[in-house]
Amino acid sequence: MENLGSVHQLIVPLFGHNMVFNLEVIVMTWLVIFFLLFFGYLAARRKARLPEPIQATGELFISQLYSLTEDALGEDLAKRYSPMICGLFMFLLLSNWFGIFPLFEEPTKDLNTPLSLGLMGFFIAHYLGVKTKGIKKYTKAYFEPIFIMMPLNLIGELAKVVSISFRLFGNIMGGAIIILVVSHLTYSILFPPVLNAFFGLFVGTIQAFVFTMLTVVYISVQVK
Amino acid sequence: MEIDIQTWAKVAAYTGAGIAMGCGAVGAAIGEGYTAAQANFAISRNPEASGDIFKSMLVGQAIAESASIFALVIAMILLFSNFSGATTIAISTFLAAGLCMGLGAIGSGVGSGFPAGAACVGMARQPAMSGRLTTNMLIGSAVCQTPAIFALVTSFILLFTNFSDRPLSPTWAAIIGAGLASGLGAVGSGLGGGLVAETSCEGSARHPDTAPASTNLMLLGQAVTQTTAIYGLLISFILMFKQFPASDSLAPAMALLSAGLCMGIGAIGPGIGEGFTARSAVQYISRNPRAVAELTRTMLVGQAVAESTGIYALVISLVLIFVI
Repeated sequence: MENLGSVHQLIVPLFGHNMVFNLEVIVMTWLVIFFLLFFGYLAARRKARLPEPIQATGELFISQLYSLTEDALGEDLAKRYSPMICGLFMFLLLSNWFGIFPLFEEPTKDLNTPLSLGLMGFFIAHYLGVKTKGIKKYTKAYFEPIFIMMPLNLIGELAKVVSISFRLFGNIMGGAIIILVVSHLTYSILFPPVLNAFFGLFVGTIQAFVFTMLTVVYISVQVK
Repeated sequence: MEIDIQTWAKVAAYTGAGIAMGCGAVGAAIGEGYTAAQANFAISRNPEASGDIFKSMLVGQAIAESASIFALVIAMILLFSNFSGATTIAISTFLAAGLCMGLGAIGSGVGSGFPAGAACVGMARQPAMSGRLTTNMLIGSAVCQTPAIFALVTSFILLFTNFSDRPLSPTWAAIIGAGLASGLGAVGSGLGGGLVAETSCEGSARHPDTAPASTNLMLLGQAVTQTTAIYGLLISFILMFKQFPASDSLAPAMALLSAGLCMGIGAIGPGIGEGFTARSAVQYISRNPRAVAELTRTMLVGQAVAESTGIYALVISLVLIFVI
């Protein structure tokens, strides 16, 4: 209970500023990436017309997320951006599930991970908005319905990044805290597996999907 | 009679525990009662499906109760805290943690009763869909709990962060404001998210082919409905983690307190309103599945407009914190 919220940090002084690295998050993120690469290798190792279970799982991810992206963005953009959306979903899914293994932590429990992914989605959405609509039409959208609303539209746009990242962070962090505290209060009898199944697997899956879908929707709002 | 700080801290902790559990019991009880009422209606309509309906009622009620269980956990921690080293600032943290969790549990408790009730009625209408309806209900109710989880996170941070090295004068108000922002902010979004999930369960039973589209739109609608609760969480985090300079005057303290109040109350309306928007969008997908794209777009635009008042509250809160 006492180490709740403590973070192992590596602080590097650089030109009078301190660069802070949250070591656990970095290690866990790399572990997630490593496992995903390994999964990809296994899924594509022996490609067959009659797929083995692991190839079928990979195909399931790709086809489902491709159709999700195609529904929102149309065929041209979906071909280019569905690999990113699929990668985002699989990364988030494994990250959110990571906490159920002993000694491992969810990388998404640290606000920096969801925030950077949210910023990535934000920049992609606005880049595509400028590219498809042209800079003039893109800028004009901020001055609607009247030009006084510009600051509020701007804040509303930035608030999207805040909302998408805090939603994931709050859910995963809250789940982790509940698991820790309730396990502590009940001396780890009976409750931890149930809580891990609900907050780790179930809520983790839903939130990974919600994050992915919101990223797609933010892109589609800019494009159309 | 001279009352020392430890006694005051105990007074605050016991009051906080009372508020947490008292308010926390309100929402879940209403939600569960609604579920049971709908289950009765469903069984009278289709007595053959009573086994499935009864099971789904119990599962739905168990999920609706989780917000109340969060409040119970906070109340227990408040009752059995260690008061020996309590400082003056602890008085306000105990009170704020109780307020935050108590208020935060109301919306999610009421809200997650709605999908459970609709799932029961749906099973009576379409017994073959009971598996899909249970899944839909579980997903909807779990997302409904998100605002309560935000309130829980704020309460825990309030309880387990050491605020004793901060200056007393504005910090006590910032802490209470943080509790109110997350707690009140969760009320509307919890309720609104429930409304969305209700029609998704209803629509899946009405038109089983549209169930996947309905679940997707439900998740999207609920996620956008929660935006204002997230603004509340953001204001809470700023109030808890920003170092405020010490001052003896009451004005800065009141500015911080009202920043929390402003965001908390301001988040209630948009939460419920956006819930209504998404509720209809999800409902009419099952009536006219070909209009999915138009319904989604209209829902997002409508919610964005309904949310603008929440953004006004966010702007005023940020001005109160950083400018004044």
